[in-house]
Amino acid sequence: MAISYIDAIQQALREEMLRDDKVFIIGEDVGVMGGAFGATKGLHEEFGAERVIDSPLAEGIIVSASIGAAMAGLRPVPEIQFADFITPAMDALTQQAAKLRYRSGGSQTCPITLRVCYGGGTGGGLYHSQTNTTWFAHEPGLIVVAPATVADAKGMLKAAIRQDDPVMYFEHKKLYRTPSIKSDVEEGDAALRDLFKCAIRREGKDATIVTYGYMLIVAQQAAEQIEHELGVSIEIVDLRVLNPLDSETILESVAKTHRLLVLQEDHRTLGIGSEISAIVAERAFDCLDAPILRVAAPDVPAIPASEPLESFYMPNVEKTVEALKRILQY
Amino acid sequence: MATKVREQAAEAAAPSKNGSSLISDEKLKQLYSTMVKCRVLEERIRILKKQARFKGNYYAAVGQEATEVGTTIDLRDEDTIAPSHRDFIANYIKGVPLNAMLSQIYMRSTSPDKGRSSPAHCGYAPLNIITPASTIAAQLNIGTGVALANKMKKNDNVVVAFSGEGSTSLGFWHEALNFAGVQQLPIVYICQNNLWAESVNVKLQTRVEDISTKAQGYGFPGITVDGNDVVAVYRVAQEAIQRARSGGGPTLIECKTYRWYGHSEIDPAKYRQPEEVEEWKAKDPIAAMERYLTGKRLFTPEYKQQIIDEFNPQLDAAIDFAEKAPLPEPIEALDHVYSFDIRDRELHRTAYHPKY
Repeated sequence: MAISYIDAIQQALREEMLRDDKVFIIGEDVGVMGGAFGATKGLHEEFGAERVIDSPLAEGIIVSASIGAAMAGLRPVPEIQFADFITPAMDALTQQAAKLRYRSGGSQTCPITLRVCYGGGTGGGLYHSQTNTTWFAHEPGLIVVAPATVADAKGMLKAAIRQDDPVMYFEHKKLYRTPSIKSDVEEGDAALRDLFKCAIRREGKDATIVTYGYMLIVAQQAAEQIEHELGVSIEIVDLRVLNPLDSETILESVAKTHRLLVLQEDHRTLGIGSEISAIVAERAFDCLDAPILRVAAPDVPAIPASEPLESFYMPNVEKTVEALKRILQY
Repeated sequence: MATKVREQAAEAAAPSKNGSSLISDEKLKQLYSTMVKCRVLEERIRILKKQARFKGNYYAAVGQEATEVGTTIDLRDEDTIAPSHRDFIANYIKGVPLNAMLSQIYMRSTSPDKGRSSPAHCGYAPLNIITPASTIAAQLNIGTGVALANKMKKNDNVVVAFSGEGSTSLGFWHEALNFAGVQQLPIVYICQNNLWAESVNVKLQTRVEDISTKAQGYGFPGITVDGNDVVAVYRVAQEAIQRARSGGGPTLIECKTYRWYGHSEIDPAKYRQPEEVEEWKAKDPIAAMERYLTGKRLFTPEYKQQIIDEFNPQLDAAIDFAEKAPLPEPIEALDHVYSFDIRDRELHRTAYHPKY
């Protein structure tokens, strides 16, 4: 049966909790209520209040208590209800989780899997829409993933929970119940997915779009439109993992298509597209037949709530097609 | 809920109303001798620093030995310590080998963290001592998470988390205590109120007289103790640790004490009045314990000299070990980032050679 992205998350959590009694969940509203979006629905009833902990309203302790519990041998899966609220946990993530293994010479580790709900396009406004993945992609010691498909949502979450490193798992709220991406998923270990490789979602030979998260849907629609209009073929690389980057897959694709467009929901300056552009410029300069372009949100502090403002802010199919035309017709 | 303990050591050592047992002569001598060794250790490290025999800074707890020893001495290997930058000697008290500790001072490859953290930021995984960060109060939150794991695993291990009075101004400090209260976690928070957070007096950190009163806001006991009275600290800490072990939840212990020297070895501490320093040096926890032990006929100057004479060769040997120990290889800067190796990735960012 085809299931939704959020059901895939719930399945992954349940399967991992059944498999390993060291796995537990902690966060705001994750228990009795089953999560603000329903990702932990039914788990409180099944596993009890000790393993599905309704935490105080304090992101700092949600993450740092998870770090301590992981040090002591457990496998915490904390949740940040909205990425916009992650700032009280910045010390925990950047100074503790990212650096604990390093600062202890490998003798102390904290394998947490922090689920973070992110992304705009829902009218959520300044503080329920942000895409702040870049803050964490900049931190060595953290693994940052952003699955875009239902199979990845399940398989990468399961793999993250088993990974011996702190993993931040960014889930876009617009993917949760999107009917068009519903799909069948496998059960148990068969559902596991690689955490570290990009995926080629569409084969092409004339240009590459590198993107992640909800923007994969935008990229696919843009590719279809431009293929229809211009008779070209577009390759789409789904990043999947933002830290550490899988540079090789990106470089191989650019070597094949000779043109690169990076599509990101985050704003432009020093975003993930900046790093990918630099990698390609440094290591594959001779492969390029056109300048690298980025389609990104403008450099404003956050996503405004009113519909015309939000639409102006969000990268979309139209902006992506326009940018593709520029590099194809260079 | 907050209670003050400012009793004479003699009373503290007697059986108390709550049933805690008499402290044995052997334990009293152990408390004393451990304080002396901690003092010798830190004064020697300060000399090594002045001689520029190691790089980096050091944060001495000289003057605060009673709080370190009284709270830590009877912990089990399985118990966790969450130290701050000023709790280097807690490592020694819990049993970390001197060779490892001096290697930390010298940032050698033989240090517990293989030369990564600053000299005073010593942790030791085999004895469950968390390697500290420098972001103040963060260790409390991580220690609270260890306590959560202990509770979930249904063992009777406890966590002792150290902080200073300055850290109580941070939100982290309160998030940790609040969560520990809600979850009734097996943790003891030791707040070493030494009056000065670097150059800022406690009067500019908090309006309250006793930091222990803050525990009331989190629904568990808070107690203020004379942090220079090792017997009083020991008795109060043992009560709190036993309560935590038996599922009775957290305790906040405020130890009123004083650091004799600056915030670090490069701080002359000119912000303090000399009279204040002298007043507190007169309350030296080691001298106080000598008076107490003398009253019980457990102390002689020869006994003290014997402790020092036995300890100094051990310390000499550890310094020698550390000074001769190899420095880390430069390439090791790339290690222990993830569970997997990144050397190849970092070293071979070569140009991409397409097959066209």
